Amino acid sequence: MRKPWNTVATSGIMASAMALAACSSEPALDAVQTGDGTDTVELAEFPDRPYWGDTHLHTDNSVDAFGFGTRLGPEAALRFARGEEVTATTGAQAQLARPLDFLVIADHSDALGATRRLYDTPRWYVNWVIGDETVLRWYDMMHESPEQSQRAIAELVTAAGAGTAPESLSDPEAAEEGTRDIWNAQLGLLDRYNEPGTFSALAGFEWTRMPGGNNLHRVVMFRDGSDRTSQTIPFPGLSSTAEQLWDYMSNYSDATGGQVLAIPHNSNLSNGMMFEMTMPDGSPMTAEYAAKRAAAEPVVEVTQIKGDSETHPFLSPNDEMAGFGVGGWELGNLTLSQKTEPEMLAGSYARSALLRGLSLEQQLGVNPYSFGMIGATDSHTSLATGDEDNFWGKHTGNEPANEERALTEQNMGTRIGRFSWHYLAGGYAAAWARGNTRAEIFDAFARREVYATTGPRMSVRIFGGFDFTAEDWDNDWVRAGYTRGVPMGGELADEGTAPTFLVSALKDPDGANLDRVQIVKGWVDGSGETQERIYDVVWSDMDTRARIGGRVPAVGDTVNRADATYTNSIGAAELRTTWSDPDYVSGQSAFYYVRVLEIPTPRWPLFDAVRFGIELSEEAQADAVAQERAYTSPIWLKPAG
Amino acid sequence: MPGWTREPLVHFLALGAIVYIALTWSGDPVDPASRSIDVSAQDQAQLSLAFERVMGRAPTDAELDARIEQFVRDEVLYREALRLGLDQGDAVVRQRMVAKMDMSASAAAETAEPGEAILREFYETNPERYAGRTLLSFDQVYFSEQADAEESLGRADVSGEAISLPAEVNGSPLSDVQSRFGEVFARAVFSLDAGEDWQGPVPSGFGWHLVKLRERQTETASFEAVRDRVENDWRSAEIASRKDKAFEVLRSAYRIEIDR
Repeated sequence: MRKPWNTVATSGIMASAMALAACSSEPALDAVQTGDGTDTVELAEFPDRPYWGDTHLHTDNSVDAFGFGTRLGPEAALRFARGEEVTATTGAQAQLARPLDFLVIADHSDALGATRRLYDTPRWYVNWVIGDETVLRWYDMMHESPEQSQRAIAELVTAAGAGTAPESLSDPEAAEEGTRDIWNAQLGLLDRYNEPGTFSALAGFEWTRMPGGNNLHRVVMFRDGSDRTSQTIPFPGLSSTAEQLWDYMSNYSDATGGQVLAIPHNSNLSNGMMFEMTMPDGSPMTAEYAAKRAAAEPVVEVTQIKGDSETHPFLSPNDEMAGFGVGGWELGNLTLSQKTEPEMLAGSYARSALLRGLSLEQQLGVNPYSFGMIGATDSHTSLATGDEDNFWGKHTGNEPANEERALTEQNMGTRIGRFSWHYLAGGYAAAWARGNTRAEIFDAFARREVYATTGPRMSVRIFGGFDFTAEDWDNDWVRAGYTRGVPMGGELADEGTAPTFLVSALKDPDGANLDRVQIVKGWVDGSGETQERIYDVVWSDMDTRARIGGRVPAVGDTVNRADATYTNSIGAAELRTTWSDPDYVSGQSAFYYVRVLEIPTPRWPLFDAVRFGIELSEEAQADAVAQERAYTSPIWLKPAG
Repeated sequence: MPGWTREPLVHFLALGAIVYIALTWSGDPVDPASRSIDVSAQDQAQLSLAFERVMGRAPTDAELDARIEQFVRDEVLYREALRLGLDQGDAVVRQRMVAKMDMSASAAAETAEPGEAILREFYETNPERYAGRTLLSFDQVYFSEQADAEESLGRADVSGEAISLPAEVNGSPLSDVQSRFGEVFARAVFSLDAGEDWQGPVPSGFGWHLVKLRERQTETASFEAVRDRVENDWRSAEIASRKDKAFEVLRSAYRIEIDR
């Protein structure tokens, strides 16, 4: 007889996790913590500062994270994100230099907690009752050694991508019971650690659909506390479609009165499937589908450990700053089961998707790809680290305890051409909110008043309007921005004159100076073709760094490769300007977003090289210094009426 | 010599006997019980229960027999593996056993439900943890150059350069000040004396600031307000301390020499 192993009786670890959850239902938890935070803290009149967070963190409840060796659970993840020191799986002490303001724990909904349970199951049970040879082999590999365990999980991810995962893994009904236990335990924990005004702990999960290894993953994020979120359970992805996910989300809202949104990510590994011009089956896109998508997915995660998805040099040949975090990832889809061809790229990157959205809007009257942008880590270690000098690895196999982590191929050579040094240190999301509560943070995402950074915490603002002038900087320009214009994520109705923008970028107070601020404009021209253009709108030392041949000269490079240091002797602390579109054409739909570049700084492999005395490969050394950056959500200019 | 002395089998047996005797004398005596496996009624009940938890029904006699056979097989191989020292030098086994020791020391703390008195005591013995946040109220003006800041400090009318930082901060927690102005600045302002005078220049990641620290308050956090945090902290402190205590007891029985 065969029985899925998801339903295996809970192990000792699970039992204790549930006991913790049981504690959490004591009367000590009041509505302040268990709700969405409305009316719990005094709110600013306008969003007055960016709140920093990670919306994409895996713990040992994720099927792959546990298999990769992670033994830290959600509680350690929450403590770490709040700034406390925790002991990482590999034994060393880990801490953030600066705490985060919010965290979404986003474990894979498929087979939630399953590897942990499988690992703790007696072998006879796996052998005789589950009776699946592949599962038994993975079981043995997981017990053999950390290296074999990582290999088993690489096989598991590949099988899931190819649709050949064992039935006992992909059967959602069988998984439901196990999922519900873990979900409820987690919701209790989140409420206990949720502290309005100080730290927002939000519920979520990752929906992991990947047909043929093409990454269509979404992080699903809830606004609500356990009073509502306990009425649902995470929705599995391997055997469902995106439309079914959106239906699941609207059912949740209808049934509970709560709110939920989805955040696509790693479009760079989707081989063009994340942002298609058609329905998933190839038929013409319908307005209904476009509207559903736009409503469910207001934000896309464009930068994280597994590469950057802003744009690709092939798509943006005139963008000299394109190509950050593209190396290695551009070779193929998530599992590298299919190579990436150039014609696939437009469906894989955010900027081209924003352009496609304008085209589709002309045809359908609805823009399916009118999304804001954030960064996240996608760390599988329970440690939400985004800083280059404090990188704790994609998974436990490349925590810093592995001193040669920067030298190896990813996943023991099963993904030829992708090396560990292609991993980015991670990104963070910044949310402009009036206070730090679940509701305020979620609402910032919902209205797209959020932006992405590749790790550093620069404060970036853009307001769009029609009557901003340079004099606005002398007064309360934030108030002017909100009262006479719209912030990032907003929409402007075309009034027949060029839009004007207030743009400000303040450096990370504990980080590197700024090189330049750019506005990326996309539009559809008179012949229906999509166009993009990058404007350098303000940069450091403008009086001495004049344009040469239409281009702003490089800012310079202070990085000392021998000791992984840099100095803020170049660049600026703040760059701000009032900018009006010189190429405005009345009646043309367009989007405008800001890209901010820091001066060059060391990437994590260079810190590793210095700390551990290892020698990077020639390729890795060439990529050991980069200009970290921020991408804001766009402001859209739409034809009036 | 008799013919049997040239038999290879005899040589083999003799050699084996010598090795056996040598090992027996030099090592621990072989405990006869270590080669006897008694599957007690209690063991069988355990096997039966494990089956039932998974399958939702009691095993049939044949199924239980199969479990017992598997149990015996595992036990024989496990004991022989120990005899061969296969548990030695295996990083996974070592780590797993270390983790089990830690777990057994702390398991009780993970599910314990501390009473009000215990939590209050923890709250009172860790005043720095619950001292409440430090709230700062200050005005600041910004200069990109230190010299300009110093020069301005002497003037009656202090005015600096434009930057997108609040000129006036009111009752902001130290952690927020750090988040917006950076670590260096927050530390420096924290240690200024409150008053009506401009002080500085205070450095930050942006440049230099003159600061008028109007007020520094310490919030009082009542036990009730932070009870959850106290319980979270108590639990993790308790887990850590039980691990440490258990280790100390074991550690004290060892003499450790580290070659330098």
